[in-house]
Amino acid sequence: MLEVVGLSKSFRMAEPKWRWPGRKPVEVVRDWRRDGAWFHAVRDVSFTAPSGAVLGLLGPNGAGKTTLMRVLATALVPTRGTALFDGVDLTQDPTAVRRKLGFLSGDTGLYERLTPREVLRYFGRLYGMEAKHLEERIMMLSATLGMGGFMERRCGALSTGMKQRVSIARALLHDPEVVVFDEPTTGLDVAAAETILTLVEQCRREGKTVILSTHHMHEVERLCDAVVLIHEGTRRFSGTVEAMREAGGGGALDRAFLALVSTTGAKGAATEVTRG
Amino acid sequence: MGRVGEIGTIFRKEMLEVGRDRKTLIFMILLPVVLIPLLLQVTMSIMGDAQREASAKVLVYAVSGAEGLAELAGPGFRRESVDGGEGAAVAAVAEGRLDFALEVKPEVDGRREVLLHYDNASLTSKVRERVEDAFGEMSDRIRGERLVGLGVVGKARQDALLRPIAVVPSGVASMREVIGEQVGSTLPFILIVFCFLGAMYPAIDLAAGEKERGTLQTLLLVPVARWRLVVGKLLVVFVTGVVAAVLSLVGLGVWLGLQSGQLEGALGEVLGAIGVVDLSLIGAMLVPTSLIFASLLLGISIYAKSFKEAQSYIAPLNMLVMVPAFMATLPGVELDLATAWIPVTNVALAVKDLVKGTMETELLVIVFASSMLVGAALLWVSTWWFSRESVVFRR
Repeated sequence: MLEVVGLSKSFRMAEPKWRWPGRKPVEVVRDWRRDGAWFHAVRDVSFTAPSGAVLGLLGPNGAGKTTLMRVLATALVPTRGTALFDGVDLTQDPTAVRRKLGFLSGDTGLYERLTPREVLRYFGRLYGMEAKHLEERIMMLSATLGMGGFMERRCGALSTGMKQRVSIARALLHDPEVVVFDEPTTGLDVAAAETILTLVEQCRREGKTVILSTHHMHEVERLCDAVVLIHEGTRRFSGTVEAMREAGGGGALDRAFLALVSTTGAKGAATEVTRG
Repeated sequence: MGRVGEIGTIFRKEMLEVGRDRKTLIFMILLPVVLIPLLLQVTMSIMGDAQREASAKVLVYAVSGAEGLAELAGPGFRRESVDGGEGAAVAAVAEGRLDFALEVKPEVDGRREVLLHYDNASLTSKVRERVEDAFGEMSDRIRGERLVGLGVVGKARQDALLRPIAVVPSGVASMREVIGEQVGSTLPFILIVFCFLGAMYPAIDLAAGEKERGTLQTLLLVPVARWRLVVGKLLVVFVTGVVAAVLSLVGLGVWLGLQSGQLEGALGEVLGAIGVVDLSLIGAMLVPTSLIFASLLLGISIYAKSFKEAQSYIAPLNMLVMVPAFMATLPGVELDLATAWIPVTNVALAVKDLVKGTMETELLVIVFASSMLVGAALLWVSTWWFSRESVVFRR
């Protein structure tokens, strides 16, 4: 289970120390998240994602989803708040959290001069997996994801779909309890996307906690047990998919989504809707 | 898996990738092994050809002014007449139609001046040397005839009259020192430059390249301390730097081998005389040098957002490495208690002294220790940078 408690992440904005004489200062885009030299990318976000369930993390581009997921993945340190992975505090023991976490992003790269088998062995060793167990996991994932035909080919020579399958295998290699998928189907064809969606379902069946960030509402409808909608760094909705549809005025889910993110008024004026 | 195991895993994987990367292999192996002998061979061959051509060329000249001087002897000179006198002859030299022009002054008190007009801007020209040699012989002959006329007969009596005191030079430096001074100046320069070049590409690829390809984020999520990731990568950059430097020596050796027919035995004597201990110490000097370069390059590469940005930072750094290495080749720059603390220069000077066989132990310790300290400090900076969000996720 994953519990996110009052998580905030702010960045210090890089201000130019000087500029050429006569050159006008760069016009800064007005954004209420900007506070002096600080930019509050994520502010006081809380939610709970139970085991054996898929939680959809929704929001328009620039909402703060990627920052939130990077914090959950321990790549960034939260400014305030924390997240508990089966009781293990992210801020107290990030290394233990990393062992429990699998992360897959749509823009994840692979080592192009290595074969999928070499990539998987490398990460397996870094996760401290015992050699025999590692080989068994590689064999199992290779069969599940249909990678047998290209396990010995260099990653640089693989198609986008093949690469994505290798990335999935890499993310699930150490059998993590929590899996974060960050727009995993972006740029994939129907067949490759279906492989991933099936795998998300499999993760849920295996009792894993799944966080799925996506812009595709049909994926949300198919997979998510609950959703959290982030907009301008704050949580704007939390509840089931049906509740989100209702909160957005009924009808198609993407319309509901647009209705919820357009309720942004003045600074922080949007009302959060929480429906169970 | 322990610390060493994790670092070893990273090291082995990165070495495997480096071994499969054509660009790295070119910088690490092909450049030092092939380029050094090729460059040296081509340079030597061009210089040799230019020298031979300048010596063998028939020099065309004109004479103006007082007559009565014998023609320049030998098949190397051909006299031509130029209308318009001295001014026209000088103009012909400037235009390249003549190699030189002589302006003979009238004899005064038995002495005659000959003005030589030639192209003194040409580096390969041997005109002045050959004309002076020719007139030198003529002058010797006339002086001999005059001395005989004065009753001084015999070469020994003539020498005693003309040069009553003769200085006979006798150098006390060993052959190893003399040749070591020359070889020892270029050797560290080659070692240092190739150590840097060999480390450069892998350093860019291992950090900025990972950022660009989107693999760094994944790597940061493994349960391994960031400093171990940096050390694993640094070891790879370090090894490629050392390998490139050693291979540059191999390249130099290949060239020397090819040239063995033309080399004096003394050079072989020097290389033999350096001995296993000093050769090992020269090799040991590569350790702090490569550590400094690896840490510096990796630190910059970690900071850069992309491969291209890293290249643009590192390109001017080439000069920063070459200048201190070049300083050691300058005459008069020696290893002492002051220069032993200057990074890179100190290593170059130490290698020079090791080749010459004049290394002092305490200076060697200072060079090694100070360079290791600089390398360790730069490694610390790289590790620190790698743990900073603002650097790793720099936008």
